[in-house]
Amino acid sequence: MNIITNNNAMCSFAIDVLRSVEDPEIGLNIIDLGLVYQIDFDEESKKIFCTMTLTTQFCPMGESILNTVKLSLEKFFSDFTAEVYLTFEPSWNSDRISEMGRIFLNRK
Amino acid sequence: MSVVNHTPLTKTTHWKVVIPFYGYGAIALLVSTVLLLLSANNLLNHYFSPGNLAITHLMALGWGTMMILGASHQLIPVLIESELYSIKLAMVTFLLAGIGIPLLVVGFYEFNMGAPAKWGGRLIVLSVIVYLYNLYKSIKNSQKENVHVLFLFTATAWLLVTSALGLMLVYNFSFPLFQKNSVDYLPLHAHVGIVGWFLLTIIGVGSKLIPMFLISKYFNSNLLWRIYGLINTGLILFVLLFLYSESLLYLFIPVVCIFSGIVLFIIYCYKSYKQRIKLKVDEPMKISLVAILLNLFPVLFLIIIIVHATFTNTVSFSVVMGYGFVIFFGWITAIIFGMTFKTLPFIVWNKVFQYKNQITVTINPKDLYSKLIYKWMIFFYWTGFSIFLIGLLMNNVLLISYGAGLLVIAALFYGWNIIRLILFKAPLDEYNNQ
Repeated sequence: MNIITNNNAMCSFAIDVLRSVEDPEIGLNIIDLGLVYQIDFDEESKKIFCTMTLTTQFCPMGESILNTVKLSLEKFFSDFTAEVYLTFEPSWNSDRISEMGRIFLNRK
Repeated sequence: MSVVNHTPLTKTTHWKVVIPFYGYGAIALLVSTVLLLLSANNLLNHYFSPGNLAITHLMALGWGTMMILGASHQLIPVLIESELYSIKLAMVTFLLAGIGIPLLVVGFYEFNMGAPAKWGGRLIVLSVIVYLYNLYKSIKNSQKENVHVLFLFTATAWLLVTSALGLMLVYNFSFPLFQKNSVDYLPLHAHVGIVGWFLLTIIGVGSKLIPMFLISKYFNSNLLWRIYGLINTGLILFVLLFLYSESLLYLFIPVVCIFSGIVLFIIYCYKSYKQRIKLKVDEPMKISLVAILLNLFPVLFLIIIIVHATFTNTVSFSVVMGYGFVIFFGWITAIIFGMTFKTLPFIVWNKVFQYKNQITVTINPKDLYSKLIYKWMIFFYWTGFSIFLIGLLMNNVLLISYGAGLLVIAALFYGWNIIRLILFKAPLDEYNNQ
């Protein structure tokens, strides 16, 4: 897991929140799957900027996952609005799965 | 690592376009198995009989092609990484093929090559042209070419050749378009369809989906290019030899080319399997992988047919029937059974839950169909398939009937699960207020 942020303390909360968002096909959360690249906070404008990717450029569950990331962040950080950006540079590959994620997948 | 280029999400093809193809396919499979049961007594007479023609075309077009067309309208965006060019053209494809197939099949079943069969053939050719155009425009708009897309596009071009040739063979009954009888051109028509359309499509799409569903990082573009070259070379050689050579032995050259392509694809799938991240392989993926191996059976049958015909100058009808049966009820059906339950649940899940907060959604795509019905379907399918094949090879009508009966049950279980999936609605209490 290698997530860029401008606020380590708030980011750790955001990571915990996003651990509850699963890729429905794989059954693994998006943090351990390595889909989240960057989470920045702007405390003045009360905005969260989350940049993430999907396992494939055309993920059939993509819209649902992005929507859930936004809703989850806004639910926990109730004063903030979240903007979720999708990127494929760099594209996801299975090397981004965390050690915990690999253990989980091998057990499933 | 730096993050750049925010990319808009590619829209999926609307479920209203895709689901009718799946429903149509399920009905066609059921009708095909019922016709197989009703024709059990006559199957061994000659492969060119009205019943066999009707069943083969219903399986090839109503089941195999409609399911592939449905899935591919959903998967084209995955392959080209861009949206499908036209939803309306996709619907036109469905309507034309959906009306054309029963007309053609009824024409064959009654052995009447008049208006119904001719109109059926015309509508099917039109449907393929519309699909090919939609695919071409989608690829052109995306400007991202890759080997998977080339497989699919070439396969569709071969489908157009197959369907146009098929229509000409129907016409050949009333107007002499060719030098010989239509029956003499059947091997050409059948193999261009089986190898050009089905094999290339399954490899092109499978080489993308199998690693994706196994969560494997394996990808080997060079190997896929070699497979593409081998199969197309084999098929072109086959067409030329069929038209211009008298010797059956030369047919081994294209058979070796195509066989090599199949073996390389099996190696591709094996490497994807070995490099998978998720150790446990689910049931639909298991049958898909078995189907890939099952691809070797038709080649084995074909070698027996060629050797037998070369040395005895006769054709064993039961082996020819077994060859066709293994292709349509074995390889193609098995892979569709597997891939249906890997693709349709996503389509339905998106339809039901797309705009709901996923955290409150405890149902995953794989939970949308009944595992129990699926297991029984697979049991009846393999049992029916094996008994039917043994019956064919032993010329035993009773075994053929039992096998066909079990396949009807498998088709009923398949249809039952498809209906459950298509009609799935979110539980009211839990999700209505999201």
